[in-house]
Amino acid sequence: MRVNRWTIGRRIVQLLVVALLATPAFGFAFFEGNLGSAALFSLWLSDPLATLQVLVLTGTLTTTLVLGTVVVLLFYGILGGRAFCGWVCPVHLLTDLFDMLPWAKKRERINLRWKEAVLGLILVLSVLLGLPVFETVSPIGVAGRALTFGISGSLVILVLIVLAEQLLVRRIWCRSLCPLGGFYALLGRVSPVAVAYRPSRCTHCGSCEKVCFVPEVLQPSLAGSCERVHAGDCSRCGACVGICPENALEFGLRKPF
Amino acid sequence: MGKVNSTNSSRKSTGARAALVGSAAAYLLFKAGSGYGWMLRPPGALEEDAFLKKCLRCGRCAHVCPYDSVKMGTIADGIAIGTPVIIARETPCYLCSDLPCVKACPSGALDPELKDPLKTRIGTAVITEREECLSIKGLRCEVCYRACPAIDKAITVENYLNVRTGRHAIFEPVVHKKECTGCGICEKACVLDRPAIVVGPLQPPTESWYES
Repeated sequence: MRVNRWTIGRRIVQLLVVALLATPAFGFAFFEGNLGSAALFSLWLSDPLATLQVLVLTGTLTTTLVLGTVVVLLFYGILGGRAFCGWVCPVHLLTDLFDMLPWAKKRERINLRWKEAVLGLILVLSVLLGLPVFETVSPIGVAGRALTFGISGSLVILVLIVLAEQLLVRRIWCRSLCPLGGFYALLGRVSPVAVAYRPSRCTHCGSCEKVCFVPEVLQPSLAGSCERVHAGDCSRCGACVGICPENALEFGLRKPF
Repeated sequence: MGKVNSTNSSRKSTGARAALVGSAAAYLLFKAGSGYGWMLRPPGALEEDAFLKKCLRCGRCAHVCPYDSVKMGTIADGIAIGTPVIIARETPCYLCSDLPCVKACPSGALDPELKDPLKTRIGTAVITEREECLSIKGLRCEVCYRACPAIDKAITVENYLNVRTGRHAIFEPVVHKKECTGCGICEKACVLDRPAIVVGPLQPPTESWYES
């Protein structure tokens, strides 16, 4: 089997992020917070969806929050919105690993577009309930807190996601439900970094679609209609780039709009 | 024809599965409110409703707290999951002069206008067990008074004749809500197994709140 260098690199990055999130528990002071909001070597970082919830709830934002959000928006705006999912999110790492179980691949998948609806619902519910609803129930927050504050009953949220993906629908959380994934999918549509496809080399062996957690995004290119993967759902994880035996896929740039 | 039917039924089962997951998520969300009660927040915390709107559940206040006083709520705390909580009897707030938790808060849920730790108003101490309080019984305890960071302002000692003996004085600790930060140091310091002085909300929701 071909060694998928991109996937190995990505696993290393994902594990480094987990280690980074855990550093406050080991007495290091260069990182504080979690993926909702953090300070890394005094650089402010804030999740744009978290900021958006505070904005719809209170109508005001602190400078810290605005600056931290701009940094994060620029970062993922350039590298590809859902690069957050593929390379950073600890929940995606968890569901990636569970998806490697042999029976997981037999489950069917459902529509990708629900995420945007969930995103809208989260914002409406936030206003109705007077809470940043996603920050409250977020499995990403639960995972981050578990890494520094220890095991708690909150982990039931992660267990539910794994169970739903193993027993009901394959990758339902990351593909179809996560509102943060939905947010970054919108951002990913304008990112300049994208997977480039060379039809002249492609033998249509199907390896790329097998390793992709959102294979729908590859279809327009494979069908010959575009040479860049345009869909916002592409997490720029590089699994297809690394697996392609003919090197028909690689990372490239595209015009953002 | 048979093929169309099978597509339809597989769509239906997908919908049913998705609905199951959705309702499980909704159940979690709404059940969450049930465990909710008053909580002692870190210094500068806005009034609870406003606090819950702004708090991002990022845990930065807890990460920077040098005493590990700030804990994080869990799913057992309902909608307060992931929000910072101080359990005064375990580790109270020691009112750091530079207020690192307030500085760390990115969203303003801990009010950045708070600069003087003694101006913190996150709750107020109340002597709930008057009959158990050693000082009120006539002993020279006054530990809460000595421990109070706003000694002689938030807690003073009032003395009067011990009518039981007729010849001794009682030195009763008295809390002055206007000066009390709500840090909980007195609750931690109380020598009784079950503290006679505890920190409660600034505005108790009902008269009987303290009895529970």
